[in-house]
Amino acid sequence: MKTHKLFENKSHTWLMFGRDDEKPNEIIDTNQYIVITHKNALLMDPGGIELFSSMLAAVIKQLPADKITHLFASHQDPDIISSLGLWDQALPSATLHSPWIWESFIRHFGMHNISYSAIPDEGSTLKIDQVSLDFIPAHYLHSSGNFNVYDAEAKILMSGDIGAALESVEAPLFVEDFDEHIAKMKMFHQRWMPSNEAKNYWVRRVRKLDIDMMCPQHGRIFKGDDVKRFLDWFEALEVGIISKAAADV
Amino acid sequence: MTELSNNYFVCVAEIAAKLDQATRIAQQLSLTASNARAVALRAGERAAGFRPLTDFIDRLAEITIKSSRSINLLAATLSQTSADKVRADSAIEHFNIVFIKAKDSQFIGSLDEVYLRCQTKQQQLEKSYKRQIDRLSDELIMLSNELRNAVILATLSRVEASQAGIEYQDALINVANNVEGAASKIKEHINYSQQMVSTLEEY
Repeated sequence: MKTHKLFENKSHTWLMFGRDDEKPNEIIDTNQYIVITHKNALLMDPGGIELFSSMLAAVIKQLPADKITHLFASHQDPDIISSLGLWDQALPSATLHSPWIWESFIRHFGMHNISYSAIPDEGSTLKIDQVSLDFIPAHYLHSSGNFNVYDAEAKILMSGDIGAALESVEAPLFVEDFDEHIAKMKMFHQRWMPSNEAKNYWVRRVRKLDIDMMCPQHGRIFKGDDVKRFLDWFEALEVGIISKAAADV
Repeated sequence: MTELSNNYFVCVAEIAAKLDQATRIAQQLSLTASNARAVALRAGERAAGFRPLTDFIDRLAEITIKSSRSINLLAATLSQTSADKVRADSAIEHFNIVFIKAKDSQFIGSLDEVYLRCQTKQQQLEKSYKRQIDRLSDELIMLSNELRNAVILATLSRVEASQAGIEYQDALINVANNVEGAASKIKEHINYSQQMVSTLEEY
């Protein structure tokens, strides 16, 4: 699994883990992110059970395990958090931040030691050491209870499945040609995202944020002007199209 | 999940299913005892020797139901222990891979405490698992021994039925057959469960 530093200043560092060439071919490649502060760390969308060993091995090369005091799961999907039962053994004192509606579902992955901190629908802010991280609502994009993580200081938005593309593990980390990239993410957004209203609400909200990097859970990271290009493209895109197609049959 | 863990999960589930069937048969046996009591009452003095036997049939049914339920409960506990054991085994397997993949990391030692804790838990679960298997085995032997009485009960029932006169003889012999048949079916389930327990003991 590759590790890439996205941001660093005196208070904290952002790392991205992904492009795991040892993962089984049948499972989707995922990007994991971590924010490391002076004494703590937040690991975001830590991934599926199949990736756990590679993920922990990659993390342990960067920081001691007990420094990871917080976990975040944007929603309940297996590629996001099915490794929870193992993190529960590795980080028994950690806190998992996740949408309130998924608590009783996510616990099915096995959670006997870690504490669950339920994020309310309107979102909330997590302060680790001197760093503030905002849980931004992204409901129905694609899960009915869903959050992004925004770091105003680093100007990074961890956008979960928004901006995701289905690509091979050899794909570059950053979007290089936005127009060319559209083909890799169009079907994903139209099929997985169910609501145009929810999508447009999110776009309006996110346009107000100062973002240098938008980091999805699959595929490539959007930098600089490509963030605005993505928001324009996504706003114009009709999503949830399968319901109409199925109704017409 | 490994093939081995799959197997012992299946074994425990099969034991629970077999014991559930045994409970159902024992419930039918209890019904047989009630019918036998009614026939014996109608037969009056001629079936006086049969009446106490109905109490024994009842007792046999009661013991089988009680014991089957207790074994079922034990199988459920064993199933939970198996699940916990698989989880602990899986955690150890995953951590072993991490130790190989990140062997040169300066922070690899931060996993030592976690690993030790998982190992201790794994050993505790191993002990609980073995203890529960032993208990399950003992309970099955006890129930099996109780069922030996069913053969004697059926033989005595046949003897007493022959004294009850033509009118009631067939009904009471039928009771004896029912007792024997039920006990034989329950015994089959117990034997199968005992074989499953032997398989579990090998793990």
